[in-house]
Amino acid sequence: MKLINESSKTKIVNNFLIGILAIYGISQKRFNLDEPTLFQKIMTEVISPVQEGLASSKQSLSSLWDNYILIVNTGEENAILKKQISRLKSDIFSMEEVRKENLRLKQLLNYSDDIASERILAQVVGWDSANEFKVIRLNKGTNHGIKVMSPVITDQGLVGYIYRATPNYADVLTILDQNNRIDVVVERTRTHGIVEGVFNFKCALKYVMRNEPVEVGDKLITAGVGGIYPKGVKVGMITDISKENFGMTLSIEVVPSVDFDKLEEVLVLIPASQDSLSMETKK
Amino acid sequence: MKMRLSQVLISFALTMALLIGFEVITSTLLPVLGWMEYRLTFNVLIILFLAIRLDSPLVPWMILGLQLVHSAFSIEGWALGTLAGIIVMISANYLKELLQLSTAIMTMLTVQLFQIIWFVTVTLIICLKISNFDKFGMIMWSFIPGSILLSLISPILFWLLRSIWRVPTHGGSRGVEI
Repeated sequence: MKLINESSKTKIVNNFLIGILAIYGISQKRFNLDEPTLFQKIMTEVISPVQEGLASSKQSLSSLWDNYILIVNTGEENAILKKQISRLKSDIFSMEEVRKENLRLKQLLNYSDDIASERILAQVVGWDSANEFKVIRLNKGTNHGIKVMSPVITDQGLVGYIYRATPNYADVLTILDQNNRIDVVVERTRTHGIVEGVFNFKCALKYVMRNEPVEVGDKLITAGVGGIYPKGVKVGMITDISKENFGMTLSIEVVPSVDFDKLEEVLVLIPASQDSLSMETKK
Repeated sequence: MKMRLSQVLISFALTMALLIGFEVITSTLLPVLGWMEYRLTFNVLIILFLAIRLDSPLVPWMILGLQLVHSAFSIEGWALGTLAGIIVMISANYLKELLQLSTAIMTMLTVQLFQIIWFVTVTLIICLKISNFDKFGMIMWSFIPGSILLSLISPILFWLLRSIWRVPTHGGSRGVEI
């Protein structure tokens, strides 16, 4: 009697092969920088237009439920009138959206006037589908001049940097991600520290000694060291400081200055050279 | 019950299409509607179905294929989930006789159990990669709310996948042999 039949043998061999391949893949994986494979490039280029379409219809989707309820609860005659009103409202709303977008873009462009680098405006079309990574997808890629490791900002502050890029799309490792570490200074005291993403759309400021005079409400800006982020970009604000009974450093909670819930457009800074990664603090 | 290779390819293509649809919903539609905090990792649920319900030497390759698609939507990549999927599949093979997915409650509990195995594996590997085990609890916690929601909807998704793979509802956990 055979203890293991042919099918079981094939299963074991396949499990072993794929398992080894996966372990090799894990060993090669980097969570702070990536070069997309040909398959990933093709998939991203094919699927992302759908994401882009969905992202651009944000307002319509948000109001879909309300409109549906309204239509269901009205009579046939009223429905025609309400449709007309709805259309007019929608037109007004669209115009208002264009006005708001215009305002946002103006603020964004004014904010980045001081930065000596090429700027590329991009829209957010998606978020990473895994829980443990805080990554956003932009609708611009290498064809538009985007380079890996370029910093990404908004008028509110720092968003992150380009993690990987395909010809027409790019993924940004945001400051909310645990794999993104930003060298920052406390604007008031010039205390240095490292900001890391933690959980619940918050960050932590690490390596600040217990005797440093930092306070709740202090603002953090990029230190400009490390070669990725320009100096002086707003990062966030200290919201909680706790001193543990042990250890030499403080436990500090930081809320990012960028409202990631409402992030729609960003600016990618393409540094001409390393020298351009410097700007004066925006007051 | 055996399936022909052509049937397998069609079912797998449909499963891929389903995964792509769910990935678009998770990565774009839900954030657009304001659901930002937690992600519903449908790839885990689909792979759990394949690992638990299908009895075939091709399953590891299918897991690899599905994870490759997932890697276009997440920087997690293909390797982490593939290894977790293989571990879950081996665990499911050992527990095969005990697994009864005939009721919705049992399906939810089984899915939650295997999701925990999956997330412990993934979290351990991530902590190893970033050389920081302090974050183990934080990363695990980030999985919990989404995993409970996934378990709640698992009977519906499993019903859909059973239709695609033509697995009998009360056929035990062994499922189809290819």
